[in-house]
Amino acid sequence: MTDAAIYEQGYRSYGGERTGVGGAIRTLVAHSARAVLGIGRSARHKVMPVAVILMAYTPAAVFLGVAALLPNEIEGEVLPSYAGYYGFVSAALLLFASFVAPELLCTDRRTGMLGVYLASPLDRRTYLLGKTLAIGSILAVVTIGPPLVLLIGLWLADSGPDGLGDGLQLAWRIILSGAVMSAFYAAISMAVSAATDRKGAATATIIGLFFGSLAISNAVVEAGDQSELYRLADLVSLPFELTSRIHGEEGDWASRDISTGLIWLTVLGIIVGCGLFVWDRYRRMLVRR
Amino acid sequence: MAAMTTVAREHGTALVAADGVMKRYGSFTVLTGVDFVIGGGITGLLGANGTGKTTLLGMMLGLHPTDGGSLRVLGIDPYTAGAEVRARLGYAPEHHTLPPDVKASDFVRHVAELHGLPKREATTRASDALWLVGLGEERFRPLGTMSTGQRQRVKLAQAIAHDPSLVLLDEPTDGLDPVQRDDMLALIRRVATEYGIDVVLSSHLLDEVQQICDGAVIIGDGRVLASGSLEELRGGGSDIVVELEDAATVQPVVAGLQARDIAVTVDGRLLVATGQDDRVFDIARDVCAHAGAGITRLSRRRLSLEDVFLETTS
Repeated sequence: MTDAAIYEQGYRSYGGERTGVGGAIRTLVAHSARAVLGIGRSARHKVMPVAVILMAYTPAAVFLGVAALLPNEIEGEVLPSYAGYYGFVSAALLLFASFVAPELLCTDRRTGMLGVYLASPLDRRTYLLGKTLAIGSILAVVTIGPPLVLLIGLWLADSGPDGLGDGLQLAWRIILSGAVMSAFYAAISMAVSAATDRKGAATATIIGLFFGSLAISNAVVEAGDQSELYRLADLVSLPFELTSRIHGEEGDWASRDISTGLIWLTVLGIIVGCGLFVWDRYRRMLVRR
Repeated sequence: MAAMTTVAREHGTALVAADGVMKRYGSFTVLTGVDFVIGGGITGLLGANGTGKTTLLGMMLGLHPTDGGSLRVLGIDPYTAGAEVRARLGYAPEHHTLPPDVKASDFVRHVAELHGLPKREATTRASDALWLVGLGEERFRPLGTMSTGQRQRVKLAQAIAHDPSLVLLDEPTDGLDPVQRDDMLALIRRVATEYGIDVVLSSHLLDEVQQICDGAVIIGDGRVLASGSLEELRGGGSDIVVELEDAATVQPVVAGLQARDIAVTVDGRLLVATGQDDRVFDIARDVCAHAGAGITRLSRRRLSLEDVFLETTS
């Protein structure tokens, strides 16, 4: 028995299959997700994602506990609706939305990683596709995950929807509304992150944009006595309102004569507009090499 | 089209072939029509700062289109088939800023995966590449804690980990002290000679190109000023240097050479006779013998790369 070990094996050529552009995109998505969740990074990088995930999932755990303890007759009065669940986790959603895209986009530009990516099989288009998938998927952890956990938990506790059909329909609504919400937050936060290399500035701008739009929209409609349609500019309430409509519930704007179609159009318009802005910024961007 | 010179140690396949390549940014023309062919071995892309070396590397990577002419890398148009070309290239950028909190092994593995290696293979090869560049013991350190020299090595490791056909290195010794610089040059030489990966090295430092390159492309004023193997560029095969023992014999030797229609320039006891064939050697020997002049040196004249650079840029 010897302690000898070979550390340098010499240079070996590689003759195996290469995964191509698809593989590069998958790698980018996985690496980005690890970076945001702090996996393989120091403890301080884990604080924010862990805190946000706790904030997003704790209410679901509490509601499941309540459902297990309370009789079926009164649990309906205590538990929120699936669309209403987002009201409990709105802070976590906004916090995550303001953190993820700046972490992934601004950091790549500041550290020169964008140049490294563009020297790989990725180009600007596929790079942005990978980053969009990464940001959307990570946001989905808090937009789709918690209500889905709640649904599955309630179902297992015999407090969920009646029958498989109702359950699947509800799951579909949760996934659709969560996906739209992820796309909405991803689009806005990516647009802001594409406009500045400074991560902190991007985060502050995203938070400012959300709460600024809420304040201005309320002021215009209520103090300025303007049309209720100005509420569509309220970026905080807009995705929650759409989620309510997807779940077939009356949202806060139901009495204000704002149609579901108009809300869909506004949300999709914002997503497409932000997407075009991001693409235009990256298309023209001078990459440091 | 200007005559193209193949810059190559091996003349088999052209790794990079530029034919009248032009590049403009707005009204500013960076490249006015460059022609060269790069073959195997290590080729230096030489030029002062701002002469378009990085632009040319970017075009080889397929990141910018040409505004005229044609460029082929590994036989492929890099702009129209960028992903295919870049999968077979390694690239080490000039800048030193890398993600500070990412471990060297994770960074190299990630770049190898981006170039198409499966995860397990990328992990093994990342570790191997870091050992090969001398960072085996440091491979789990975050990049932000590494010195400039170590980061240059990490950049080289990520450029070779996926077994590219050609590696493009942009100013690989930038920011290194003389010892680190020599180590890095030795490593690059090893990449080409031991690992069999051809290298294009962009640099504005003539002596490092002279030290390790097999050939060079000298760029200035948006065009190729000279290109070829280092032997060709430094004048191998042209002009004869005759160094005489005694200054008193210079005049009769010069007269003898001129009488045989050979142009001569004189610098003290040093004579430079113009002529490329071996006949000039014989004539110089005979003239010296006839004049009773002792010869200290009789050889082909060799320029330094600096002489070549100054001649071509002046």
